[in-house]
Order: sequence, then structure tokens, then C-alpha cells
Amino acid sequence: MHVKNLTKRYDGKTVVNSVSFAIPKGKVISLIGPNGAGKSTVMGIISRLIARDGGTVDFEGSDIGKWKSRELSKRLAILTQTNNIQMKLTVRELVTFGRFPYSGGRTTAEDQEIIDRAISYMELGAFEDQFIDELSGGQRQRAYIAMVIAQDTEYVLLDEPTNNLDIYHATNMMKIVRRLCDELGKTVILVLHEINYAAFYSDYICAFKDGRIARFGTVKEVMTKENLSQVYGVDFEIMEIAGRPLSIYY
Amino acid sequence: MNTKAVRANRQKLAFLAALVLLCAAGYMLVGVHFDNAKLVQYAVKIRTPKLIVMLITAFAIGGASIVFQSVINNTIVTPCLLGMNSLYTLIHTAVVFAAGSGSILAVNANYSFAVDLVLMGVVATVVYSFLFKKTKHNVLYVLLIGTVLSSFFSSIQSTLTRVMDPNEYDNLLATLVASFSNINSEIIVISLFVLAAIVFALRRELALLDVITLGKDQAINLGVDYDRCVRRLLLGVTLCIAVATAMVGPISFLGLIIANLSRQLLKTYRHTQLILGSALFGMIVLVGGQLLVEHAYSYTIPVSVFITVGGGVYFLYLLLTNRRA
Repeated sequence: MHVKNLTKRYDGKTVVNSVSFAIPKGKVISLIGPNGAGKSTVMGIISRLIARDGGTVDFEGSDIGKWKSRELSKRLAILTQTNNIQMKLTVRELVTFGRFPYSGGRTTAEDQEIIDRAISYMELGAFEDQFIDELSGGQRQRAYIAMVIAQDTEYVLLDEPTNNLDIYHATNMMKIVRRLCDELGKTVILVLHEINYAAFYSDYICAFKDGRIARFGTVKEVMTKENLSQVYGVDFEIMEIAGRPLSIYY
Repeated sequence: MNTKAVRANRQKLAFLAALVLLCAAGYMLVGVHFDNAKLVQYAVKIRTPKLIVMLITAFAIGGASIVFQSVINNTIVTPCLLGMNSLYTLIHTAVVFAAGSGSILAVNANYSFAVDLVLMGVVATVVYSFLFKKTKHNVLYVLLIGTVLSSFFSSIQSTLTRVMDPNEYDNLLATLVASFSNINSEIIVISLFVLAAIVFALRRELALLDVITLGKDQAINLGVDYDRCVRRLLLGVTLCIAVATAMVGPISFLGLIIANLSRQLLKTYRHTQLILGSALFGMIVLVGGQLLVEHAYSYTIPVSVFITVGGGVYFLYLLLTNRRA
């Protein structure tokens, strides 16, 4: 996936300003940056949820706008934070929706197998007949991830997956992200607020500031005192723990 | 898939269908003098069209309400918000005001049905198709526009009635209450035809309803052309309500009750079942209500009074118990 000169304006205010980058396949890429830096907007544009004002998003040879929505949904999955469902929906039914791009409302035996695997992969077997709105935040998030796994896409986009989760569930979520990449071979792109989660669990970091990319590179390249201070405007110290750079900010 | 729940729901729907049959049989048979063949014939002739109209209305309102709530993603909205009730009231008041209650437009059922349907159709298309596009597919704007239009129409209507001849007003008032009498077979056929056309035109979008209830982001993620789909569904909902309202009068508040009864009973996201349940509940309420009105209250209270009173109480109950929303 190649992004070129991406631009987005809201009421004349430019929130994404000619952003260009290429996404390496089979890696975990974290988009970080202060509030309003444009990272979520970029995420929305490359997942076709938000319309852009300029630039191109090249996905496997053709622009994302030229793809048939149904076809694209077999290659690329997005999970946002605005999932308030008014329906009575069980975990299994939610996961079943992941097969919608393939077989519409009617699932085949093969679909059922994929759904079974997604549910057991996320260890949701015990809850599969419970209603989504009766689950805890962490369980619900896992149910959604199971749906994304059932969707069986090469690319997975997650918008702030650790939001509203406590340390235990957030850390588990990041471990799941890592497994999606390492075990299932997916390319995972996520927007994160927690710099240290990005540093510990991703391969590449893309740091945004004022609608532009401030730094894009491997974790080691981006996680330096100077880079982070420049992006966030606060003082940083970098320490190395388990061979990974972690930051302390104050 | 969760086959047990699906089967349980099928049984519930079968039970509802049986209740509808019971109500319909009751409506057709209660109070008929079977000893006189002519009287039997007369009763059948009078009651059959009314029964058909109630069934059609229930289906149109019930289905439209479920679709509307799912598109808006809120289960306590009523299609009243689309403004068709007040537009109906305004059209009828304006006709009586301009042409008099004796004019052919007011007296001839076919003409007044045609006028209602055309005007409502035009307004529905402009507001819920064109403006929806203009507002960049924001359903909240559409609701707001509907609410504002409702009060706009009601204000004009009340201004007209204020300067109207009191005798004319008296005549008018009778036509502003939902009623199932005075509907001929031509209107029934046209309504059925229009409804069938709407359902046929929307067959693809209706199949996507289950996914649409996951919300805009998820629907797009799963490959649904969300904006176009929602626009067409909204237009279809408005047209369904317009047909039902043109046929029997302001009745769309019924939708709130039957849609929620269906949701409470079936507890599912499957729209085929929800729509069916809602339509069946509608039939029970209308036919059963009319049975009571005709035989227990001998026409002193119109069925819409029951619907409004019962619906109001039920609405409060929903508001108080639905803390999740």
C-alpha cells in the first residue's frame, strides 16, 4: 500500500497535509502523534471511511476508490471505536458478520469452520452465545477482533484498539496485535496513544505532527529523545528494556 | 448459527400469525346474523375491504418502522418524525379551505387519495432523497428537517382552520382521524401495487439491513455502499408511510409500538423476522382494536385514540426502561 500526497481539509483547515508513505507488508505499523495531528484521519482515508480532498491511496496496484467495496472488504478490514450496536447480537452472530463479504447473509460450511476458528483463536468459546452488550469492554473488543479475523483480510486497520481498556486488557490487546502479524501473517496498521505500546509491539512507527509525517521508520529509528520531544513538545528519556527502547515522559 | 433462537422465534411468529387469524376471524364473524343470507352477504361486503386495508396498513407501517429505526440506529424513533402525518392533515385542510368540503377533491375518495399520494411522494423524494444527499448523508439532519417540516405544516394547518368556516371545519375534522371505512377496492389495488413496487425496488437494500445495524463504519468495512443504501431505504420508508397515511389517515405513531413489541419479543437482529413480527403485531392491534371499537364501544371511540393513548404509555415505559441508550 502506497500513500501519496494525501490531503484532507475540514472547513478550510488542513488536517492532513500532503502525507506520503509506503506500508511494508507483513509488519505492525503504529501511527502515533499528539491529538489533532491527523493520524486517525489518515487511517480513515486509507480505509475508505473518510473522503479525501487530494492525493492517492494505491492498494495492490489500483487506487482504493476504484476498488469494488465488496472486493476491498476481503483484503482490508478496519475496526474503529464507534461501535455502539442497538441490536441484540450474540458473539457468534457478530463474528459471522465477518463472512459477509464472502457469502452475504448465507454462510457455508466453510464459513462456519472459519468462524469457529476465529472464536477459539480469541478464546471466546465460553461466551459465544452471550449478547455483545452483556460483555465487559475487553471481551467485547476481542469479539470484534474475532470478527476481523473471520473477515480473513491481509490488512487489518485498528483505530485506537487500547482505548477504554485497563492495563491488563490493553496489554493483552497488543499481544493479540502481535499474534495477528506473527502467526496469521497480517499487515496490521494501528493508531495508538500509548507510545510505549507502539515501541514494544510494533515494527515500524509513523509519527504525525500538524497533519504531516514527522518521522517514519523502524522503532529504533523513531524512538529517540530528539524525535519524540519534537513531535510531542515535552521532555523525554529513552531507556532500553528487553532490547526495546521505551520512553519516559514528564 | 444460533439455530435454537431462530427456531424459537419462528414459533413466536407462528403464534402471532395465529392470533392475527383469530382477530381476523373475529372481525369477520362477530355480530353477523347467520340466519339471513342477505345480511351475511352484506356484512362480508362491508367488512372484507376494511380488513384488507388494516392488514396492508399494518404491513406498511410495521415494516417501515423497523427499517427506519435500524437506519437511524435508535429504537425509540417513530416514523412520525418524517412529517407525513402533518402533511396529510395540511393537504386535507387546504383542500377543504380552498375548494370547500363539498368539492370533488374532498368527497371523492379516489381523487383525495391520488392528491395525497402524489404530494407526499414529491415531498418525500425531495426531502429524503435530495436533501439527504445535500447534507452529506447525515441522518440527524434528516430527522431535524422532518421535525421542522412537521411543525411547519401543522402551523399552516392551524392558521387555515382558524379562518375557516366553522361548518366546514366540523366536516373536515371527521376526515383528519385515521379510519378504515370509505376505502374502495381501487385504492386498495393501487396501494398494494405501490407497496409491492417499493419492496421490489429495495430488495437488495433490505437484505443489507442486518449489516447496516452494525453502524456506518462496520457496514462500510464489510463492503456495503452505505450512503446510497441508506438513502434508498429512507426514501422507501417515507413512501411506505405515505401510502399508509394516504389510505387511512394519520396513523404512523402505531409504528413505534409495534416495532418495539417485535424487538422485545424476538430479541434478534434478523430483519426478516423483525419486520414480519412488527407487521403481525400491527395487524393484531388494528384488527383487534377495530373489533373492540365496532362491537364493544359501538363506534364511539375511533381506534386511533386507543393507539395514541396506549402508544404514549408504552413510549414512556420504553424511555424509562431503556437506560442503555
